Amino acid sequence: MMSPLSATTPADARARDLLLDVRHLTVEFPTVLGPARIVLQDISFSLVSGEIVGVVGESGAGKTTLARSLLGLPPVPSRIVSGEILFRGRDLRTLRDAELRRIRGKDLSMIVPNPRGELNPLSTVGQQIAAVASVHLSLGRKQARQAALEMLKAVQIPDPARRMDAYPHELSGGMAQRVVIAMALVCSPGFVISDDATSGLDVTVQAQILDLLRTLAETRHSSMLFITRDVGIAAHFCDRIAVIYAGRIMEIAPRQRFFFEPSHPYTIMLLAAFSHSAELRRQWTVPDVRRRTGAGGGCSYADRCPLAQDKCRSVEPALTELAPGQFTRCHFPVVRR
Amino acid sequence: MHFATYIGRRLLFIAPQLLGIVLVSFLLIKTIPGDPAVLMLGPTATPESIASLRAKMGLDQPIPAQFAIYVKSLLRGDLGTSWQTTKPVLDDLVQRFPATVELVTFGLLMAIAIGVPLGVASAVNPKGWLARVADFYGLSAGAVPDFWLALVFIYVFYTVLGWLPAPLGRIDLSIIPPRQVTGIYTIDALLAHDWQAFVSSASHLVLPVATLGLINAGPILKMTHATVERMLQSDFSRYEVLSGMPRSHVVRSALRNALPSIVTIIGVLYGFLIGGAVLVEIVFSWGGAGQYAVQGVLNSDIYPVLGFVLFSAIFSLVVYLIVDLIYFAIDPRIGH
Amino acid sequence: MRDYLDLAWRIALARPRFALGYFIVAAVTTVALLAPWIAPYSPITADPTRFLEPPSWDHWFGTDAVGMDIFSRTIYAPRVDLTIAILGTLISAVLGSLIGALVGFYSDRRGIRSAVSYGVMRAADVLQAFPVFVFAIALVASLGQSLHTVVLAIAFVNAPIYLRLMRAQVLTIRGMRYVEAAQVAGLSDLHTILRHVIPNAMAPVLAQISVNIGWSILLTSALSFIGAGVRPPTPEWGSMIAMGFQNIVTGQWWPSLYPGLALSVTVFGFALVGSSIEVLADPIKRRALVAELRPRGAAVLHRA
Repeated sequence: MMSPLSATTPADARARDLLLDVRHLTVEFPTVLGPARIVLQDISFSLVSGEIVGVVGESGAGKTTLARSLLGLPPVPSRIVSGEILFRGRDLRTLRDAELRRIRGKDLSMIVPNPRGELNPLSTVGQQIAAVASVHLSLGRKQARQAALEMLKAVQIPDPARRMDAYPHELSGGMAQRVVIAMALVCSPGFVISDDATSGLDVTVQAQILDLLRTLAETRHSSMLFITRDVGIAAHFCDRIAVIYAGRIMEIAPRQRFFFEPSHPYTIMLLAAFSHSAELRRQWTVPDVRRRTGAGGGCSYADRCPLAQDKCRSVEPALTELAPGQFTRCHFPVVRR
Repeated sequence: MHFATYIGRRLLFIAPQLLGIVLVSFLLIKTIPGDPAVLMLGPTATPESIASLRAKMGLDQPIPAQFAIYVKSLLRGDLGTSWQTTKPVLDDLVQRFPATVELVTFGLLMAIAIGVPLGVASAVNPKGWLARVADFYGLSAGAVPDFWLALVFIYVFYTVLGWLPAPLGRIDLSIIPPRQVTGIYTIDALLAHDWQAFVSSASHLVLPVATLGLINAGPILKMTHATVERMLQSDFSRYEVLSGMPRSHVVRSALRNALPSIVTIIGVLYGFLIGGAVLVEIVFSWGGAGQYAVQGVLNSDIYPVLGFVLFSAIFSLVVYLIVDLIYFAIDPRIGH
Repeated sequence: MRDYLDLAWRIALARPRFALGYFIVAAVTTVALLAPWIAPYSPITADPTRFLEPPSWDHWFGTDAVGMDIFSRTIYAPRVDLTIAILGTLISAVLGSLIGALVGFYSDRRGIRSAVSYGVMRAADVLQAFPVFVFAIALVASLGQSLHTVVLAIAFVNAPIYLRLMRAQVLTIRGMRYVEAAQVAGLSDLHTILRHVIPNAMAPVLAQISVNIGWSILLTSALSFIGAGVRPPTPEWGSMIAMGFQNIVTGQWWPSLYPGLALSVTVFGFALVGSSIEVLADPIKRRALVAELRPRGAAVLHRA
């Protein structure tokens, strides 16, 4: 059975490969007292080859958990409790560790935020990229080193030959981010997850990194899941954009529809934050008072929604298709007449 | 900063540190009751001879003056004389210190050989049976007294099984020790191609080294386990797993990052054991420097004690310097 | 009250090693206290006609070279060892922690206090560079050999540990907001230290105390072994092992074995208790432990 959330009609989807098909993924976080807290609830979406899908949400919405869960490594102590993660038709949850290791870094890789904290402080940058290349592509030492050098050039690090032998602490934030991108892309994986790859960087550097990512995705034919807190950045190059709130997908739509005809109140609030009109912002923004744990009935956004009604607080809405390719989880979505 | 500058700075600090240590030990030793002159001359000494010896030794002067005299003689290379052996302390120590160093070094090597692999294995597989064993071992090794374990070993391997020689020193009494190059019998025997002496001294080493090794593996194991575990839980290690790196690679890079802590504890233990192996030395009649110092304290023979403290302090400081140099070599973040 | 007992039971089930540690310590303490009533023979009366007898129904652990019953002496010995170790450790913990807290608190105020702090730390450095064992022997020798001086030697040798520990804790806590708030509100330094700093620094110190007691027992028996600690005929594990030293070579293993076993087990027990305190006193580890218990355990803690 095909996920109802693919971008195209069933016929098209059959024609092109479904690269990633996530079905009803639920991840929970065990707490000391009381029942486990649900971090991701019933997440379903899919991606075809060549697509770039953005995932937007605020801190704590579950974005990093989603990214790492797709690789089979939810951040400790969270656990995946149900769902399927079909990558090229194989459910990653059923694979053994050895199988997963072959896929990670090679066919499915991840760009992490805070790069200097995630690189091994005792190895040079060149050694680390070469290690990934030599493990997954079975390259000899010289070839792996060459591949690392090529990759550093591709990510446009200035003076790549010298930087090969630099240690992570010697690099600036922007350069370290480029190194992480190089590591993620050196094996030309078919699918790259970029988790908040540009947070903490200067605005000018951000723009460069984004351009770089788009170019690399195109030249290496990689699909990408682009996770960010910043709706504006998602506008840069995502074909489709999904919005996550409190561990649930609230809306998913192709780029045009997303920006010109947003339907979910939360999406509208995110977009309004960019608007010049303070009036608009005030109209759509209610400050977050209480922390949502995902328990209890009703829409999880009801507390902050300016359009919330009684039904919203008691019955959780389901994801329904409003228009071709646009799905919303709302009882009273905003529709333009 | 430059390598040479770093070493230079450290060496500069050694002198005042040593002075401080010598001062404290001098003051401490001075409080031990017992008149050295009386002890040296024996019970038949006359009051006049005692008085003249005291004057010669400077014992009738105020303490600061005595300290100054001592330091001056130190700088000349004179560490005083032991009234028990009637020989210069420097000679006694030169003969005995290598014995202690040999014992402690081999013991530490064995402790590393046991502690590091067990520590890594239990960190990599925290729920496995090896982790439980390692845990239990770490706790027991710290609870068992070394002098008692030595006695147990002697009983089993000498008294009952007869596999190993009696605990009467470093080498069979009937065999002449090899020509002294380093003072370490096993090495000197090898250098002199004296097979008999080598076998004898090596067989005498087995039990004391086993005692020290098994017990000191405990702290090394604990530190290795704790640090490797911490490294495996760090961001960069998780990122390596995320990139699909094989287990052996992840473990190896965690271990490399854990080396500074492991090297530190080994260094600390090394310095500690020079004085801390005393009990094992006594049980096996090893003739080491620690035993020498203890006999000095118990018999109010002050110069051996001071000399030993000085030797072991210098040894510790050198070890710590080497440890810091190793950090320098391993960790590219230092010195930049 | 019953809920706490229930919680304790569940923790014991989850971590049998903790239970074992407390059991050992309790058992040794009880045996030591009840020794005058349990011991079949007097620990210091020698019967020269029955020396070096192997273990038998008459003498469970056998007799030593002068004819004293080893079992009685073994169970009397902890009275001495535990007292010395506990007293010595407590003294060093209290003094060391107090000085360490003061040093940490004043270490970067300007003026005399900071200079003194620096001096104290350098003195501690020098003290710790000393070969511990030789230092302890020298202390006992210089102060005269008696139980009191052994206690003092133990205290002196251990004090730097608590000094450093407390100082490190204080430095960390001092930087935290609520301490600053207290000072801004004008509370005196001593008040701040006592009310805010010390209670929060206690956890590692408590764990250290238990482990230290175990280690001090080892040191006491080591000192007695070479004759610089407790003197015979007072029953003490280390001196008993020394008395059996010569007999090992001639095949009589029992005079040295039993005291050493008792010693090892006791120190082991204290080490386990120490690791249990480490887990229970640290809020993060404590929560992780409670999370493993069945839900009832968690509910108890929630109510607590």
